[in-house]
Amino acid sequence: MKPRIWLALFVIPLGLIIAAVPQNTSHPYKLTASQLLEEVNTRTQFITPETVADMIVKKDPTLQLIDVRSQGEFEKFSLPGAINIPIADLLSEEHSGIFDQDAKMNVFYSNSTLMANEAWMLTRQLGYENNYVLEGGLNYWFEVILNPQEPASTSPDEEFAKYDFRKGASQALGGGTVSAQTPETNSAAPKPAIKATPKKKKAAGGC
Amino acid sequence: MGPLSVNELISENTNLFLAFVIGTAFGFVLESSGFSSSRKLAGVFYGYDMVVLKVFFTGAITAMLGLLFFSLFGWVDLDLVYVNPTYLTSAIVGGIIMGLGFIMGGYCPGTSFCGASIGKIDAMVFIIGLFLGVSLFGAGYDWWEKMYLAKFLGSPKISESLGLSDGVFALLLILVALGMFWAAEWAEKKFPREEY
Repeated sequence: MKPRIWLALFVIPLGLIIAAVPQNTSHPYKLTASQLLEEVNTRTQFITPETVADMIVKKDPTLQLIDVRSQGEFEKFSLPGAINIPIADLLSEEHSGIFDQDAKMNVFYSNSTLMANEAWMLTRQLGYENNYVLEGGLNYWFEVILNPQEPASTSPDEEFAKYDFRKGASQALGGGTVSAQTPETNSAAPKPAIKATPKKKKAAGGC
Repeated sequence: MGPLSVNELISENTNLFLAFVIGTAFGFVLESSGFSSSRKLAGVFYGYDMVVLKVFFTGAITAMLGLLFFSLFGWVDLDLVYVNPTYLTSAIVGGIIMGLGFIMGGYCPGTSFCGASIGKIDAMVFIIGLFLGVSLFGAGYDWWEKMYLAKFLGSPKISESLGLSDGVFALLLILVALGMFWAAEWAEKKFPREEY
């Protein structure tokens, strides 16, 4: 017999079996409580406002900002490109596709980090990856991105570099007070520093 | 984690070492199956040698059946398997460039290293071209960044967009693959070449 016939005799029955059995939709490898605690302790869920601002400015398509506050608060102010999923609706069927995926980087935010962290813990318990929390929430965002304070003149260079980046991001994202002042006080270039966006560590294949 | 997930159980260095061993074995099998010959590889475009198509589709349906059965037995969680995200525009443009390079050079990236390792000069030239291309892409990234990131679709599955279950789609793909093998062997008879 030809190899093709052998192959067919082997794979067609297997195909019939796999087509006939129901799909296994359980997620056997959920996080255990101790693993979750480990992640909480190492604060891996937090993404700095600088990273998020950089991704917004660069229009990174992998960023998905999720506002977990109420709809009213969301309509009053939200970050560019954010969608609103109030924490009460987090587990509804229609949103599961947003959390249960492998391509986008979900960043939860609320006024502080409390609700965003709750959302992160819930999705993490469900076994979903790629969910993060905006460090410090919107309060910290206002403080460092929209109204960055110039560091003291004795601060190390890194502080100034950070400040320059924040100022650049603030201008790009429509911060209020910055455009009113003349930003000529600093000798360093006003160009925002390029920051590497976190990449997933999984290996990709190829031919 | 599950029995088949070695992440976090073995160190990054052990992981790299295993990758080296597996990669060497892969290269050896590739070479001994004749994949270091650009004429054999280009044969798929002319119909006289369809081994590339047969090998890759056999590989694909084997891996597909393996993953689906492992998932059925609860050995792997398919949600933890990395799926390359789809950027539609760059997939199409990249596919055209890759295809042109394939038919002009007679190699794909992996097999060019295979050919170079047994001393084929055309494969070495191909690798130089590969590095030139990579450098050009990196140097001009600002120019094509927009196109590169356009039409981001996430990681869609064909079975989902067709509304089929993974298993039914797998059966269809197996039938299509077997049909293609049949057509490929017909083509090999129709466009034979004595020596290549």
